[in-house]
Amino acid sequence: MANLSLKGIQKIYPNGYHAVTDFNLEVEDKEFIIFVGPSGCGKSTTLRMIAGLEDISEGEFRIDGKLMNDVEPKDRDIAMVFQSYALYPHMTVYDNMAFALKLRKLPKDEIDRKVREAARILDLEKLLDRKPKALSGGQRQRVAMGRAIVRNPKVFLMDEPLSNLDAKLRVQMRIEISKIHERLGATIIYVTHDQTEAMTLGTRIVVMKQGVVQQIDTPDNLYSRPCNLFVAGFIGSPQMNFMDAKVSVDGENVTLAVGEHVLHVPEDKKQALIDGGYDGKTVVLGIRPEDISDDEEFIKANPDCVIRSKIKVYEMLGAEAYLYFDVEGTQVTARVNSNTQLRQGSDAVFALDMSKIHLFDKETEKNILF
Amino acid sequence: MERNTMSYKTKQFLMFAGPALILFSMVIIIPFVYGLYLTFTSWDGVSVSKPFVGFANYISAFKDYYYWAAIGRTLIYSAFAVILINVVAFLLAYLVTSGVKGQNFFRAGFFIPNLIGGIVLGYVWKFVFNRAFVALGEAIAAGTVPSLLSTPSGALFCLVLVSVWQYAGYMMLIYVAGFMGVSDSLKEAAMIDGCTPSQAMWNVTIPLMRTSFVTCIFLSITRCFVVYDVNLSLTKGEPFNSSVLAAMHVYNKAFVYKDYGTGQAEALILFVICAVIGITQVYVGKKGEVQA
Repeated sequence: MANLSLKGIQKIYPNGYHAVTDFNLEVEDKEFIIFVGPSGCGKSTTLRMIAGLEDISEGEFRIDGKLMNDVEPKDRDIAMVFQSYALYPHMTVYDNMAFALKLRKLPKDEIDRKVREAARILDLEKLLDRKPKALSGGQRQRVAMGRAIVRNPKVFLMDEPLSNLDAKLRVQMRIEISKIHERLGATIIYVTHDQTEAMTLGTRIVVMKQGVVQQIDTPDNLYSRPCNLFVAGFIGSPQMNFMDAKVSVDGENVTLAVGEHVLHVPEDKKQALIDGGYDGKTVVLGIRPEDISDDEEFIKANPDCVIRSKIKVYEMLGAEAYLYFDVEGTQVTARVNSNTQLRQGSDAVFALDMSKIHLFDKETEKNILF
Repeated sequence: MERNTMSYKTKQFLMFAGPALILFSMVIIIPFVYGLYLTFTSWDGVSVSKPFVGFANYISAFKDYYYWAAIGRTLIYSAFAVILINVVAFLLAYLVTSGVKGQNFFRAGFFIPNLIGGIVLGYVWKFVFNRAFVALGEAIAAGTVPSLLSTPSGALFCLVLVSVWQYAGYMMLIYVAGFMGVSDSLKEAAMIDGCTPSQAMWNVTIPLMRTSFVTCIFLSITRCFVVYDVNLSLTKGEPFNSSVLAAMHVYNKAFVYKDYGTGQAEALILFVICAVIGITQVYVGKKGEVQA
């Protein structure tokens, strides 16, 4: 397996469009890196530059210290799983998996051993004589994985490999991919726009927007310490609630006014607001739906961070319920226990867990607290 | 309205398939069956009477040396023409799908010869072979240079050349569709798997273009076997009847020598040969065909 280094990578198309701007990333051996972001954010383009399918306009890409910018895809020792699987329709499953090994002129018995080993790992042994047309979506996906595994490459690249599968199969295959990563100790770079895949699979996640890296961090940190409004809104489902809040500094006491609601900022978050000179300014208050509580005891214990509203929509999801309501014209979502008594039209009182709030500069959109 | 009745189904069938069926019957089926009937007569193509002669026309056709010589010549011509048409068409298609600048202009340009009628094309190329090339050759060699059309092998070569020029552009379009039908991700997967461009072409692109190959080879075989217009205008069968192809022989037999029955029988034999080769090629080609 391998270390990857991407320094100042840029992709500029002939028409001047910057698809990727100043992309920097160091990937350690055995890491599972996820590129995530909305459509058109440059994640697939970056992956294709790593694969050698797109030219790198500027910057340096190295595998194990060796400059790869002008190296042909076949000489990069990478394997790629495509969104469409890209299985050769005229070849059997066996031949699809053996193709790369045949091109490398490996002995027949070694090819056979490797293909059968990969087939065993992926439970494809009974399908080796079939052609892709005779396989289900999940089986095709496994063959595409098998084709990558047999080569034992330095790096696995996966371009939205689960996006063509139905929801149930996607969960199964997500687990399979995770197991394969464990088993092979592989370095994997994985592109997805599905944040659940990103959060569950990745050791580190690269969040991109309009060709620019927003944050590179572990799933936990991305969730709990998003560096800006975009990351905070993109990671998490339902997404983080955002409300405009006016900061008031009165000696040691710092409050946030969201319309009529006055919220007291806890000790550990005060200093950043004071030091940043936010007194009298409006900031964006971010709070995740699960950090808004309708629990009576919690509300009693935190009387200085209460908001009141009328429930507009109640969604029961079994183990939990989503409550949608407005605060000063902004829609807010609370994720509460399913035994809540609140229903559509109820007058509700919530308390915010102020230790979990995020504060963003309204102009720069950067997280003030980190 | 009851949709499961025979009369409803018949009406539906006639409404949709009727016009085409009537036209197809009028211009293909009826003339074919009537032609088949004429092979058993000694009709001269003019008189009212059509005396029945049984299989005499077929026996006469099988004994006709010039007919079989023309068939042999047609086989040689077709073999060279079919191979060259398809090789040139494939290479042109590769060129105009490789992202070369002005590829749409080239696609249109290469297709244009197919829009010119065979007769006109033959006369144009006759001028080129007899005048332009001769003048060019004489200017270079500083002496007398004979026309390519003046020798038997040269005339056949010219026929092949003009056919390639005429049909390659048309076949190119089918190959272009074939190239475009092969997903880019398959080509990229091949590159990542370790293919050089030529290996990717040989192992991935060409096998997935099987449908295009089957179609183009079938079309070129059938067209070459029954070529008449270019044969007439370019060589007229000359020199010394050495470039008379099967269709021209059949035409001459029926309409020049007024032996309509034998001519028709020879046409039918040509049809059978052509059909057997064409169908065999399609059957073999279609085996193992896959969706790209």
